[in-house]
Amino acid sequence: MKPAVFDYYRPATVEDAVAALGTSETAKVLAGGQSLIPAMNFRLAQPDLLVDIGGVEDLDRLEVGSEGVMIGASVTQSRVMSSDEVAGAVPGLRRALGHVAHLQIRNRGTVCGSLAHADPAAELPALAIACGATMFIRGPAGERTVDAGDFFLGPFWTDLAHGEIITGVHFPSEPAGTVTFLDELAWRAGDFAITGLAAALATGDGTVSGARMVSFGVSGVASRMTGAEQAVLGFAGGDDGSDLYEAAYEDAADAVDDVHATAEYRREALGALVVRNVRAALANGNGRGV
Amino acid sequence: MTSDSPTRINPMISHRAAHIGRAVLRREDRSPLTGRRRYVADLRLPGMLEVAFVRSPEAHARIISIDTGPALALPGVHAVFTGADLDDVAPFPHKILYIQPVGQTPLAVDRVRYVGSPYAAVVATDRYVAEDAASLVAAHTEFESLPAVADLDQALAPDAPKLYDDWPDNYLVNYPAEKEEVTRAFEEADHTYSDTFVSPRQTGLPLECRGVLADVVDGQVTLWSSTQSPHIVRTTIAEMTGIPEPRIRVITPAMGGGFGTKTHIYPEDVVMPWISRRIGRPVRWIEDRFENLVSAVHARDQRHDVDVAYDDDGTIRAIRCKAYCDVGTGEIFMPGTAPVFVTGGCLTGAYDFPNMEVHHFCVVTNKTPSGAYRGFGVPEGLLVMEGIIDQVARRTGVDRVEIRRRMILQEDQMPYVMHGGGRIDSGSHAKSFERVAELIARSLERIRAKYADDPDVRVGVGYTNYVEPTTPTYHLTTGHWAGYDSATLRVDPDGAARVGLGTTDLGQGTETTAAQLVADSLGLDPDDVTVVMGDTDRAPYGLGAWGSRSAIVMSGSILMAADRVMVKAREIAAHMLEAAAEDVVLTDGEFHVAGSEAPSVSWSQVATAAWVRTVDLPRGMEPGLEMSGYFEPPDLEHLPDASGKVNAAASWSNGAHAGVVSVRISTGELKIEDYVIVHDCGTMINPMIIDGQVQGGVAQGVAGAMYEEFQYDPETALPRFASFMEYLYPTCSEVPEMTIEHFETPAPEQPLGVKGCGEGGTIGPGAVVAGAVSDALADLGVEIKATPITPSAVRQAIREASGPGGST
Repeated sequence: MKPAVFDYYRPATVEDAVAALGTSETAKVLAGGQSLIPAMNFRLAQPDLLVDIGGVEDLDRLEVGSEGVMIGASVTQSRVMSSDEVAGAVPGLRRALGHVAHLQIRNRGTVCGSLAHADPAAELPALAIACGATMFIRGPAGERTVDAGDFFLGPFWTDLAHGEIITGVHFPSEPAGTVTFLDELAWRAGDFAITGLAAALATGDGTVSGARMVSFGVSGVASRMTGAEQAVLGFAGGDDGSDLYEAAYEDAADAVDDVHATAEYRREALGALVVRNVRAALANGNGRGV
Repeated sequence: MTSDSPTRINPMISHRAAHIGRAVLRREDRSPLTGRRRYVADLRLPGMLEVAFVRSPEAHARIISIDTGPALALPGVHAVFTGADLDDVAPFPHKILYIQPVGQTPLAVDRVRYVGSPYAAVVATDRYVAEDAASLVAAHTEFESLPAVADLDQALAPDAPKLYDDWPDNYLVNYPAEKEEVTRAFEEADHTYSDTFVSPRQTGLPLECRGVLADVVDGQVTLWSSTQSPHIVRTTIAEMTGIPEPRIRVITPAMGGGFGTKTHIYPEDVVMPWISRRIGRPVRWIEDRFENLVSAVHARDQRHDVDVAYDDDGTIRAIRCKAYCDVGTGEIFMPGTAPVFVTGGCLTGAYDFPNMEVHHFCVVTNKTPSGAYRGFGVPEGLLVMEGIIDQVARRTGVDRVEIRRRMILQEDQMPYVMHGGGRIDSGSHAKSFERVAELIARSLERIRAKYADDPDVRVGVGYTNYVEPTTPTYHLTTGHWAGYDSATLRVDPDGAARVGLGTTDLGQGTETTAAQLVADSLGLDPDDVTVVMGDTDRAPYGLGAWGSRSAIVMSGSILMAADRVMVKAREIAAHMLEAAAEDVVLTDGEFHVAGSEAPSVSWSQVATAAWVRTVDLPRGMEPGLEMSGYFEPPDLEHLPDASGKVNAAASWSNGAHAGVVSVRISTGELKIEDYVIVHDCGTMINPMIIDGQVQGGVAQGVAGAMYEEFQYDPETALPRFASFMEYLYPTCSEVPEMTIEHFETPAPEQPLGVKGCGEGGTIGPGAVVAGAVSDALADLGVEIKATPITPSAVRQAIREASGPGGST
């Protein structure tokens, strides 16, 4: 594997990291490197500077409080997945991470790195939107926060400006009576999704009373399914789910055609995924992807 | 077979712990597992430079100009060569006279015909710099794009752009056929119909990509190349460069798989020694995965347009098949023309089906050249044959197992001559099918019960009965080489043996099985046998490993050499024992007079007399204890007869596969729930290794059935793949658990009765999964006739079967 020439810098503080990023137009943050390094090896990415945040103080914090879970930028996916405290506060995180690649990759890959990379078929951006997570961002102008719902703009494109880094992401605790889950179709275990669904459903009384549903792998960006979110309200699993199916199918009108699947397939599959997972959530109190 | 070539272990040897037939542990496993095995990429020579090839980004273009100046100006760049610089190298040989010549030069000179075609080479201090320079060469190459041909239909259209201006059309091979009895059967049959089956582009995908390290010193060429056929590489380099062949040494270090893709002689094999000779430094090129995907041979990519004639009682009267293979540009040596003929010849599988008419076509397109891959045409044919059987069953209402039972080859039909001339020497075809049907029926019941409560899931079963041609002739593939292989066997003064083989090991366990063969044929322990392969200076001339041939050719050549060693050793031992040679026998590694254990003479004493204490030899005996065997498999034909028929394989293994697949209708998700193989490769040398071959073969069959496909843009002929993000292979999570059982029906004419086992596993899964999915979705009218069968493809089939607006 043969990346083009680049410089490497390993700062100790966030300030230093931000300053370093500001020195180059093409600088990139290196966290787990599970997407960036392959892209560099193929020379699809040719940053002239890598700023490795692995040694930055405080970015390795993983804190669980009454409000939710705060995940620092250098915290690996495996660490989040293996924490029982995290699973207690935000059960959807462990469920979702089980779909993220393979163990070896999760041992290196970071939660925030995946969010910053914003692969349209990745699980974590969709989960962040479904959970109402908040990004903590530091840049030359200081600190700001962005709701996950406003963060993902397109394929590999986020609200992050050049010179900014995500310092952490906050996932709010799952409210009582809500179930958060993620399910996907991939041709192989551990692959990026061909069609995926992340959702938080309020199902307290056996009927869906509130929903945030996000598709991923379907179009160019993880997207709220506004039609299905409406159609699912009041759903109690009693009918054949065809209205919900149709709504999800329509939500995926901008589905992509690629070497793996047709757009039509993605739309049908999203419809099927929604119906079967909502049913399962109502029946079991959690998604099929558990 | 030469008059003295033995077919069984020399009867003068008795060996209490015979090793043939035992699951001797693989001696090749320790080094790769501990990171100590040495592949080409592990080799470095002092002063070595690295090479990057500049490859065409265009599907079809003229090269107008190449400015190498900017690349040469880059610090660390030593040289840049273009196709025109290699004007002292002949084009790749054209040996098969009935195909069109492509005139392939080592580097493309004025025209590129596929993305990935190498047209320049950069030499630099390391690969990073070489890649930087290669990008500069690419940026300073002016192409004039030409209309590109992306698929068969485009290539055969009346106004199609031609890849080769002096050809009449885009046919590399155009071999129609007509059979009177088939025409008659179509007139007489109750019904006829037409259909199309498709097996798309795949590749062998070895874990280790290719790699070449070349070092030319004082006119002596040493080439380390990850190739399945080092001697053929040597001969070809000599022919193309004029370098005397004895001055070329080709070494294949450890290999991480080849699967047929490394049987070909690639441009890099020729260009690298040329560069080393030119610049006077060792040079190395290690293929990366992108290069492997675009420039190592592809395979399959066949379409079969069939007409079927059948009767109401389920009898298939005749099949007419137009077999098209899209061979890419054809710019590869040896050409990729042979697999489609194997498809045609083996399409009828393990069935008694003479009324077969196959028209063979190889068509060139602007895609990567295609060639060999495990299965070599057979899987494509079985997809067709089993599909037809299932369709006829569906159309007539006759049970699909019953139709197969009526058609399958019976033991009393052996030897059976197939429609294309293949002579099946023996086998357990009917027995294997009965057994596989019995085993799968049990799991089918269990799996149907498992999903009984889920209306979204359907379960189906698929079957295939194949024959696996093994140890084929290379003459129809190369137009040059034929079928023998060789062994040189020596017993050293310490009594340990060393055998050099013309075949190679690419990971299949040949070292272990060769040691078993030598051990039993000399009465030694396998640990006392050293096996040398993959080095043209240390092993005798041979054709390498491909076509499931090593078991037969090394058995034959080792037994020949061993018998010759034994004759001499026995004479020496007899002299030392003061007995007549015919009274001397060998028991557990000791020579003694029959009937009395003592006195005895050891192998070490005999070999010491032969090499060291030659004063102990019988008067006048020539010193030394090394003999060779060059084994030409009996029954193997190299040229077709007047009617076009040929028995192109020395033996024919057989097997029956069956699988149960569950399909989720709403999403098309499918899962192989159970997979059963009943396998017969004749006498088994090492059952454990054979199980490994079957399992690995099934994994690659599953790859073709459900995952792998090289897609090209239909407008531009540009590849829609560059990495494993687009080209999906199954991982261990996707390969199903499988049950393997064996019958052992010895090959009557082959040494020890062995047949060969490298490809059977790969042949079955495409036909089985297609059959099972069609069965599962039969009530929806789904018929699967193409691979890979992905969930998206399943949904599409359901939609098409249900008509417009159809859903679940």
